[in-house]
Amino acid sequence: MLRKYGLLAIALGIVALYLFPLYWMYVTALKSGTEIFANPPTLWPHDPQIRIVEVWNRLRMDVYLRNSFLIAGGVTVIVAALGTGCAYVLARIRNRWMDAVLFAVLMMQVLPSSLMITPIFVAFNQMGLLDTPRLAVVLAQAAKVLPLYIVLVRASFLQVPRELEEAALVDGNSRIGAFISIIVPLARNGIMVSSVLIFLQSFGEYVYSRSLISERALQPATVGLQSFMGPNSSDWAGVMTYSAIYITPILIVFVLLQRKIVSGLTSGALK
Amino acid sequence: MTCQISLDRINKYYGAYHALRDVSLQIDQGQFVALVGPSGCGKSTLLRTIAGLEGITDGTITIAGEDVTHLAPRARDLAMVFQSYALYPHMTVRRNLTYSMRLKRRTRAEIDHAVTEITRITGLEGLLERYPRELSGGQRQRVAMGRAIIRDPKAFLFDEPLSNLDAALRVHMRAEIRKLHNRLGATSVYVTHDQIEAMTMADHVVVLRAGRVEQQGAPLDLYDRPVNRFVAGFIGSPAMNFIPATVTPDGGHVSLELPGQPVLRFGGRRPAGEAVMVGLRPEHLQTGPSPDAANRLTLPVAMIERTGAQSYVVCDTVPEVMVSAPVRVEDTDEIVLGIDPAQLHLFAPDEAGLRLDI
Ligand SMILES: Nc1ncnc2c1ncn2[C@@H]1O[C@H](COP(=O)(O)OP(=O)(O)OP(=O)(O)O)[C@@H](O)[C@H]1O
Ligand SMILES: [Mg+2]
Repeated sequence: MLRKYGLLAIALGIVALYLFPLYWMYVTALKSGTEIFANPPTLWPHDPQIRIVEVWNRLRMDVYLRNSFLIAGGVTVIVAALGTGCAYVLARIRNRWMDAVLFAVLMMQVLPSSLMITPIFVAFNQMGLLDTPRLAVVLAQAAKVLPLYIVLVRASFLQVPRELEEAALVDGNSRIGAFISIIVPLARNGIMVSSVLIFLQSFGEYVYSRSLISERALQPATVGLQSFMGPNSSDWAGVMTYSAIYITPILIVFVLLQRKIVSGLTSGALK
Repeated sequence: MTCQISLDRINKYYGAYHALRDVSLQIDQGQFVALVGPSGCGKSTLLRTIAGLEGITDGTITIAGEDVTHLAPRARDLAMVFQSYALYPHMTVRRNLTYSMRLKRRTRAEIDHAVTEITRITGLEGLLERYPRELSGGQRQRVAMGRAIIRDPKAFLFDEPLSNLDAALRVHMRAEIRKLHNRLGATSVYVTHDQIEAMTMADHVVVLRAGRVEQQGAPLDLYDRPVNRFVAGFIGSPAMNFIPATVTPDGGHVSLELPGQPVLRFGGRRPAGEAVMVGLRPEHLQTGPSPDAANRLTLPVAMIERTGAQSYVVCDTVPEVMVSAPVRVEDTDEIVLGIDPAQLHLFAPDEAGLRLDI
């Protein structure tokens, strides 16, 4: 009994520690300029001020967020289009070569963006891709997250019994037809959840956008926020409001899909 | 009768594993063929090669006169019922049944007509809008059957379609499938590991062992004249008794290696002194009131099991001898068994155990 409550207390403590920055972001967004620097700091704003509209207009967040959506959406479409078929092949064909391919795919996932950006920059520059910098970011980011998508979706394909596909083949369908009408609908959950994860990851992408997009009007929200946080800037309330506007929709999506995400991620692992 | 499916020296390797060895088979139009054999002998593999789900290493497959060895499953026009039924979980019963017709872009009217017909045959009325997870095992089995017969294919392939049902339903469905076959007159290949299913349903039984055809023929031919000890032991239930023996100097009797060295006549001639294996089916050991006086065996009794219609007597011998009697056997220490010489089989005592002509 004591042990149970003790563990619960530790768990709650750790969760609180993790969530504290999030809490601090929201609270600071509501504080006035003087209260932010008050010592000792206040845990709850005395005089909450909502600056959403003002920050939105002043920082031209509509442009930044539009770019973020374009980039994340583009990445998700490319990754889903290329990765789904690849994951399926890796799920169905089992031999030593496929194991090697899977390992290589996982290795690609390990390389950090900050390491990859220099060669990518040089290559894209030579190919003239930097003239369309958002496309360049979409391509670079898609290459980065594709392995993660493949690994996740492969796990849900592994759960679809092979006999269903074989029944469809005998019933007169082609391989592609069976894949589209039987396999994909049955792995729908996994594909959807993985796509959402890829979208959210790309929505928060920073390194590639920062390095490849120099024009202000084409930058996503992550880069926009950074440029607004100069060494002399002390508008912490503005920064935090910006962050809150940016993060809240993501949080809502996560909470709504939370159950599906968890089941989508563990399906395949538990078998 | 025309030959509908013909397999000519099929060989199949999984890597280094030789799963099918020189399998040849002729299946006539309208015939019901059962493939039987112990687990892992290659029954499913053979069926899947016919369906085109599995490629073959060597050999030729012909369906309705056309060489289909290298054709995709959909070009072979066969219907298959899987052991797990493989119903599409995201489709209603109606959509499961009509999947193949929708692929062929049949008209709405044709599809509706076929669905009405099939629901009547399979007794699925009122279940058409349900999903497979909302059906009982028996109902799922019917949907799987319906999905196959709606196609009017060149042949039906069944892979142990009844093994997930309980015993009573299994016996019922066995008769249903056979009735359906008689009505449709379609060619069927039926895989089962249950020899009773094979014997009762099929016109032609193929016994497989380790990827090789051991014997094929009409069910009763296999029962009456098994070509070797494996088939003899596999067909028939309870299994045939095998007793080592030696042919007596007169060449017309065998001396069994049982206590007291009993001698039986087998109504034929073999070389004197030859070592043989005598095969006696449990149901051919007569316990009736007047067993053949000349050919008798008196054995000690270990146990008697009575099921009502039948009594199974287990004799206290090495090897154990099993007797299946269609009467109620009283408790006794010794049982007297009469043997008809025509029902006595002789096999070679070696590994292959080939049948010896009497
Ligand atoms: N994909 C595969 N790769 C390698 N070996 C296989 C494969 N599929 C089957 N085998 C082997 O081929 C042999 C025949 O398998 P098969 O499934 O045809 O057996 P079966 O007669 O249907 O048995 P059961 O009655 O248990 O279903 C088995 O020994 C099996 O291990
Ligand atoms: Mg099998």
